[in-house]
Amino acid sequence: MKQILPPDVSAEQFADALQAFRRVVGDEYVYTGQALAGYTDPYSIVADDEAHAASAAVAPANTEQVQDIVRLANQFGVPLWTVSCGKNFAYGGAAPRMAGTVVLDLKRLNRILEVNEGDGYALVEPGVSYFDLYAHIKAKGYKLWLDVPDPGWGSVIGNALEHGVGYTPYGDHFAMQCGMEVVLANGELVRTGMGAMPGSTTWQLFKYGFGPYLDGMFTQSNFGIVTKMGIWLMPEPPGYRPYMISFQREEDLAQVVDILRPLKVNMVIQNAATIRSLLLVAATNATKSQYYDKPGPVPDSILRKIMADQDVGMWNIYGALYGPPPVMDTLWSVIRDSFARVPGAKFYFPQDRKQPNDLLHARAETMRGVPRLSEFSFINWTGGGGHIGFSPVSPIRGTEAMKQYTMVRDRMHEYGFDYMSIFAIGWRELHHVVELLFDRRDPAIKHKADELFRLLVREAAAAGYGEYRTHLSYMDDIAATYGWNNHALMKLNQTIKDALDPKGILAPGKQGIWPARYRRN
Amino acid sequence: MNRLPNPAWLIPGVLVLLTLGICSGAVAADTTAGKALFDSHCAACHAPGPGHAGTQRLAQARGAAKAALEQRTDLTPEYIRSVVRNGLIEMPPWRLTEIDDAQLDQLVQYLTRPRK
Repeated sequence: MKQILPPDVSAEQFADALQAFRRVVGDEYVYTGQALAGYTDPYSIVADDEAHAASAAVAPANTEQVQDIVRLANQFGVPLWTVSCGKNFAYGGAAPRMAGTVVLDLKRLNRILEVNEGDGYALVEPGVSYFDLYAHIKAKGYKLWLDVPDPGWGSVIGNALEHGVGYTPYGDHFAMQCGMEVVLANGELVRTGMGAMPGSTTWQLFKYGFGPYLDGMFTQSNFGIVTKMGIWLMPEPPGYRPYMISFQREEDLAQVVDILRPLKVNMVIQNAATIRSLLLVAATNATKSQYYDKPGPVPDSILRKIMADQDVGMWNIYGALYGPPPVMDTLWSVIRDSFARVPGAKFYFPQDRKQPNDLLHARAETMRGVPRLSEFSFINWTGGGGHIGFSPVSPIRGTEAMKQYTMVRDRMHEYGFDYMSIFAIGWRELHHVVELLFDRRDPAIKHKADELFRLLVREAAAAGYGEYRTHLSYMDDIAATYGWNNHALMKLNQTIKDALDPKGILAPGKQGIWPARYRRN
Repeated sequence: MNRLPNPAWLIPGVLVLLTLGICSGAVAADTTAGKALFDSHCAACHAPGPGHAGTQRLAQARGAAKAALEQRTDLTPEYIRSVVRNGLIEMPPWRLTEIDDAQLDQLVQYLTRPRK
């Protein structure tokens, strides 16, 4: 494997830095050469394999070692890219934004420091995955539920910091975090909120403490390294009923979204419900080649056949009811009557879905906080593994949803890709998460996907839609779309970055934020 | 009259039994550790049955007989190590911080265990 160095660092300086890192963490926890295979982006969309290549990786065992590594990185001018569980696939995995960056792998910081059943929270380190925390809660018999994203192998901290979502009423993960411990770029350790008060008993109970609320600064950013975080856990409800509602026509999306908004805002729909497109649902059960073996997107006639075969809709809501049975009965009657106004709407509970791999059975687990990986089945639709998420945000309005849908669908079809998506319902917004599948082994397809992605970003921005999250390769492009008032927000981010991290050590380029040291390039 | 065997003769036999016991215990323990690693690291995608993306993909690509990894007898240690460390098409690579080489050996031992 070719040796890649950080920019402006000589081979000798780099060797000295690695030697210093080894003295902190031990020889076996500094990785180079073949051991870096796991720090590549396995689903990279870009043609240049070295665009996000790490120069080395270092895996500290505790916060003190993180502090020591950060101080050494300053001393040697070596940039660090932090990953927790490193499973942020479709957004870059464990690979760094800038070639030559050393990956600071926090997987060994994997302690569950506290679970408080009465107050309903956990305090964890970055290497704790949803699988880990779920297993711990089950083993201890706590009457608490986690909220999980679709990939259960991800980090509880990492997902919240990246503004990830899950599907219970606690689905907005960053909203449910409370209290952080952060290593700053100079190696100093800070606790936010009530954690700043020695002897405080409310670090995981009250977010705001005294003074500015800083926690958001450490999400999707390169201003610090979060080494502990509190996350609120939902008390196990007395009852739970997952459901699915299907709709038959493409144009139903507008009416469905307009019905959904007041139900969500008024908390009749309690959880982070989703509307899933036909092919995203079908892809968990079938492959494209079973239905269509020609190049290009699946035609309408075949879509109708898939709908009939799998008894799914063009759009499908997956939601759940939580609480005492009389409460769930009442909520369901309102939800059912509301969506029954859409011609052809069908209502299902898990017992109504007979296919063994039916998505509602998987959703029934996810919406009660059981971590899984089963939704990765959708990647098998075309095979080849490559997938990337295009994730613009819009208001919860039918006209907006239809505008986004037709805009993205038409472009995807023009470039020969199938449209598959989730509309995830937030408190006031729709996350339109579009999955773009490609064969990672085919450079021509990757080139096409890359061209399409950049076009989608530009067209979405022109229509006023911004992405909430993106792959390493598009961080600069997306950041540039947040350019109001001559890029005032980015200038503020750069000012903060340069003040907190004058040597530009932490995650250069993360979310388009480059330290002064690299901005000249 | 039945004579009791000379206790000295028993010693090698006891040693053999003890050794066998320890060895079979050791083999069982290694397989148990590998099985536990499979359950925690691999099963979410590769367990048998519906709802497992890796099993589903292998069934499509290589047929039902090669779909569920735990049921296969054709996996070699070198192949398993290579796929875990480097990934394979849909499957991402696993880092040393996720599964170290000693654990990978245990996993290999489980997936290549002798079958009856």
